[in-house]
Amino acid sequence: MSESAIRVTGVRKKYRDGAQALDGLNLNVPRGVVYGLIGRNGAGKTTLLRTLMGLLRADRGEALILERDFWTASALERTVAAYVPQALKIHTWMTTGELCEYASHFYPEWDHRYARELAERFETPWEQPVASLSGGEQRKASLVAAFAARTDVLLLDEPAAGLDPIARRRLIDEIVEVISDRPECTVIVSTHIISDLERLAEVIGVMSDGVMTLESRVDDLQSSIRRVQIIFDDAPPPDLTIPNAIRFEIDGPVVTAVVRDAHSLLGRWRGQDGVRVNEFPIGLEDAVIELLGRKAPSRESE
Amino acid sequence: MLHFQIDPHSGVPVYRQLMDQMKYYIASSTLSSGDRLPSIREMAKTLAVNPTTIVKAYTELAHEGVIDMQHGKGAFVSEASGRMSEREKEKAIRRLARQLVVEARQMGAPKERVIEIVTQELDGTL
Repeated sequence: MSESAIRVTGVRKKYRDGAQALDGLNLNVPRGVVYGLIGRNGAGKTTLLRTLMGLLRADRGEALILERDFWTASALERTVAAYVPQALKIHTWMTTGELCEYASHFYPEWDHRYARELAERFETPWEQPVASLSGGEQRKASLVAAFAARTDVLLLDEPAAGLDPIARRRLIDEIVEVISDRPECTVIVSTHIISDLERLAEVIGVMSDGVMTLESRVDDLQSSIRRVQIIFDDAPPPDLTIPNAIRFEIDGPVVTAVVRDAHSLLGRWRGQDGVRVNEFPIGLEDAVIELLGRKAPSRESE
Repeated sequence: MLHFQIDPHSGVPVYRQLMDQMKYYIASSTLSSGDRLPSIREMAKTLAVNPTTIVKAYTELAHEGVIDMQHGKGAFVSEASGRMSEREKEKAIRRLARQLVVEARQMGAPKERVIEIVTQELDGTL
């Protein structure tokens, strides 16, 4: 069963100020996958999540959660997904408890005991108005309500922003708990904290300028991307080519390259007289920086 | 539960890190044949990683004959884990040895010194 949880096809969204936030975006997330959404500020991640939730209407294309278009879906149909926005804007006069009570009426699977437990684990004040809480605490209140709704799909927009390291680890623990208990639950999490994705995400998508510029399994990305340094006793040959290079530079006798699939490059130069080769692994964070740092690919690649 | 270390900056996939550490525990006799491994759920929660990553590590280890997965009972260090087939063992060691030799030659390390270091490592861990 490889049914899609999220299916986005050719979605375009232009804001009134003329900014093209989504520019023909495609995305397919199978059920039960934790998907990490990465991209620089303004890449369109939040617009994508808000469009999926039916809070924005796509100009063109289709954005579906479990085959439902949330812009037109009924309130009941929309209870299959919960969303944690970057900032809670409505109902902040309610206390965390009241917010949960309010949310419980919408979600058929609402788990009140779990909400209380979570609030305790996150150390979220239950009886204080959300507006009076700090940014991080508001975020936690919003997470409590989203998790306790026990939905099939969770969309989390930078959930770790504003959380202290302990709360951030609790958040990871809770996501692990949710997907351990219900393997069919699909989670999309947008974040700038890439080391967290290493623990959680099976697949990452890198967005830039409203399109998906790269999508890869986390394991594959880590096994394939390497930093390679080739030092020539004399100058490097003038016709030197670096296959699969994301980036490379030549500085005198030293050639440094970041490559996808280092195997062929290493095979070519290793063991040759007058050439020394070193290979360095790259952490996911550095790999993503390399990928984001390079020039965005041309639009034909969509 | 035994300690497993996840290094997010190593560039090694998390499932690989777990496999390597599991093998290290077996090679150093911290784990021996028949020992029960933590459940997938337990590992996922303790290490705060996606359970599918643990599943992948366990599946690969089972595939290599290092552990046995018994339906409904859990995962165990396999009887054969200490004695992979001779040919498999040789193949794996030869691959690593070749890597070592290439690196050592590049650095210009003398043969005797390399052998000495390997011997020290063998005496140290096993």
